[in-house]
Amino acid sequence: MPPASSPSRSPAAGHGGTAARTAIATFGLCKRYGSTRALEDLSVSVPRGQVYGYLGPNGAGKTTTIRLLLGLHRPTAGRAELFGIDAWGEPVAAHARAAYVSGEPALWPSLTAAETLEFLARVRGGSDLAYRELLVERFQLEADRRVRALSKGNRQKIQLVAAFATRAELLILDEPTAGLDPLMEVAFRETVLEAKEREQTVFLSSHILSEVEALCDRVGILRSGRLVDEGTLAELRHLSARTLEVSFRGAPPRLDGVPGVSVVEQRGRRLRLEVNGELAPLIEVLARHPVEALTSREPSLEEIFLHHYREPGEGTRREATAHGEATGPAAGR
Amino acid sequence: MSGAAIFALARRTFADARGRTVGFVLLFALVAYAQPAAYRSDYPTLRDRLGFVHAFAGNASLRLFYGRPLDLLSVGGYSAWRVGGILAIFSAVWGMLSATRALRAEEDSGRAEILAAAPLSRARMFLASVCGCLSGAFVLWAALVVGLLAGRLPAGGSAYLALATVAPGLVFLGLGALACQLASSRRVALELTGAVLLVSLLVRVVADTSSSLGWLRWLTPLGWSEELRAFAGARPGVIALPVALAAASLVGAGALWLGRDVGRGLLSTRDVARARLQWLSSPTALAFREERWSLSGWLVGSGFFALVVGLISTSVANAGISSSLRRQLRRLGATSITHPAGYIGLSFLFFVLAISVFACSQVAAARHEEAEGRLEVVLALTVSRRRWLGGRLALAAAAVVALSVTVGVLAWAGAASQHAGVSLATMLEAGLNCAPAAILFLSIAALAYALVPRASTAVAFAVVTVSFVWQLLSSIVGAPAWLRELSPFEHVGLVPAQPLKGGAAAVMLGVAALACAVAVWAFSRRDLVGI
Repeated sequence: MPPASSPSRSPAAGHGGTAARTAIATFGLCKRYGSTRALEDLSVSVPRGQVYGYLGPNGAGKTTTIRLLLGLHRPTAGRAELFGIDAWGEPVAAHARAAYVSGEPALWPSLTAAETLEFLARVRGGSDLAYRELLVERFQLEADRRVRALSKGNRQKIQLVAAFATRAELLILDEPTAGLDPLMEVAFRETVLEAKEREQTVFLSSHILSEVEALCDRVGILRSGRLVDEGTLAELRHLSARTLEVSFRGAPPRLDGVPGVSVVEQRGRRLRLEVNGELAPLIEVLARHPVEALTSREPSLEEIFLHHYREPGEGTRREATAHGEATGPAAGR
Repeated sequence: MSGAAIFALARRTFADARGRTVGFVLLFALVAYAQPAAYRSDYPTLRDRLGFVHAFAGNASLRLFYGRPLDLLSVGGYSAWRVGGILAIFSAVWGMLSATRALRAEEDSGRAEILAAAPLSRARMFLASVCGCLSGAFVLWAALVVGLLAGRLPAGGSAYLALATVAPGLVFLGLGALACQLASSRRVALELTGAVLLVSLLVRVVADTSSSLGWLRWLTPLGWSEELRAFAGARPGVIALPVALAAASLVGAGALWLGRDVGRGLLSTRDVARARLQWLSSPTALAFREERWSLSGWLVGSGFFALVVGLISTSVANAGISSSLRRQLRRLGATSITHPAGYIGLSFLFFVLAISVFACSQVAAARHEEAEGRLEVVLALTVSRRRWLGGRLALAAAAVVALSVTVGVLAWAGAASQHAGVSLATMLEAGLNCAPAAILFLSIAALAYALVPRASTAVAFAVVTVSFVWQLLSSIVGAPAWLRELSPFEHVGLVPAQPLKGGAAAVMLGVAALACAVAVWAFSRRDLVGI
């Protein structure tokens, strides 16, 4: 009876080939609340066994997406599927294979932590009680304390323990580490990696970039309800500007005309540059000048992220990557 | 500077309650206008009025809702009885809702913490909330005065009657504020204050209906309103009692507020407990677990009231009623109130109301679950919406039946002990007779919940209140039959005095089943809605 006891082994019967390999798929998913466009035309697919990072600032539409994935809100257009099962049409069948941690740890104030875990386990079924014990230890949960006496972080820990103990094929986590202390953040990462080893799929909504960088195979970046970038971390880096720092022995040359290059900062004889695309044109120019030192590094996720929010209109340039085909870097600025 | 802060906060409190204030203002103004107007047109001459007095003055069952009449020969005296008597109860309800909303709900939500962290002393913060509530009381008073003046009563007497009617509201504002310091949530604060109100009403009923216990009236704030004797030899000094109690409890509440932890109550239960794993197997089981104390309170409270109704049923004065006045009685729905069965029958209208209010409170609890975000957690498990809402409604319906049986059995026990001559079977029938209307109101509340979630609690309670008041008013203002029959209360047979209206009950249950089905269907198609 426990539907989640054999993770990612059972192919979704009758839902075709792609459903067997895909944990989450959305097709032109839109959500409007009155005149507010919360989510626009989201088409994304998360293969089984991946940890997918869903990034965006407050109000970008992350929680809306998750509510649509769980069939808690009804899509204005398009649809969302979990393992090929329509999230709005057959929520119970879809939820049998997924577990959820909400961003607001809303639980029953009069129940103790242990009673809450018991309720969630009994109603859903299929929890691994031995693993739950381990998680209670790991997250240092005070099991006999009532929820109303727990801090936000401690309430969040109850939800995390309950969700991971289900061993569901898919874990949908909405900013799960908000309110967790650094020790618990480490426990969380350890648990996500264990889930990944077990080939569970994790959909992790977050705005903690280091967490996403450490855990996720793929990342989607959301801005104002639109997916503005998507890919593996390597892909995102490849497509984004590299940062170069160059020191010259004399006065730095003017580099404004070099294709793909922009000067971010000049401090004395040092320049900080951002380079989109090929490095060759820049190297050619630099070779004619007395370069003292040169460092080059890939952009951090933070830089990629900030890049998408600093420049209005810029973000839409790689929407097509949502479907796996990059159109290449934008030419110039 | 802090003056501006107090003003801003008081205005916020007043504005937060605007929906409720508007509802009560309309109710108060309407009743205050309709009663004197109807009396003047129905009983224009002294002879008419003497006939009315002959039939009604000694009638105990009417005193249940309206209190004791003092002067039924003048329009003012009649209005003091009919307006003041029942609206005093409503005003008390307003007071406790107002205080718990302004004080405790703010703490439950965490907003009080934000304010307490601002450079504003806690005393001023409390003062501001209380001022917001008091301005609401003033608006209610003004609504009553306007209604009474529109009913062509003299200005001075109207202002005095309005004051007598609002006085219990002030008292329960104070008591509610006190309960907010003790309880750790608004709901518990409401239940504490509600229990006090129930006892106050019970004491007034006993004092007004029995011949020898009139002195009990001095023990209840609702009795003080009567003792103010508007339009019947006014005794303004009595106002000192409600004012003193209101002031004392507000000061006491303020003092407790200054000395306690924000966000907690003085009666807070222990934060650490051994796990009890019963009633955790389904959302419906958990709902029962969460509601069990509230349900027990309702069972004890209404059961106790039913016992008292049974006990005093034989002491009803046996006024001889001339045949010309039977018509008037029939318009109130009471055909034979001169024997115990008649008295019990009319009293049970009160239980229909109480159990209907309970049914609405169950839907309000369901809505609270959604507003707080807990429903999201439940529905993300393998629980369908149909199962969740269906279970919740089934639980409420079962509780309605349990309450109905309880009031029936206990009213029988009270009546039987006084040899009132009603059988257990009849009283079980009288009890169960409360269920169809309450289940109908449950289904209307469910429909409101599915269609207009944010407004559903207000809509549900408003529908019950308006239906009940309309049932009392419509016969008096001489509304046409089809308008009267809009109220479900009109279709409740006054068992045991009248036969159970089986057809009407079946129709109500049928409509309720349909409405519940529509509610579940509509709920399955909408987004979950937060606060």
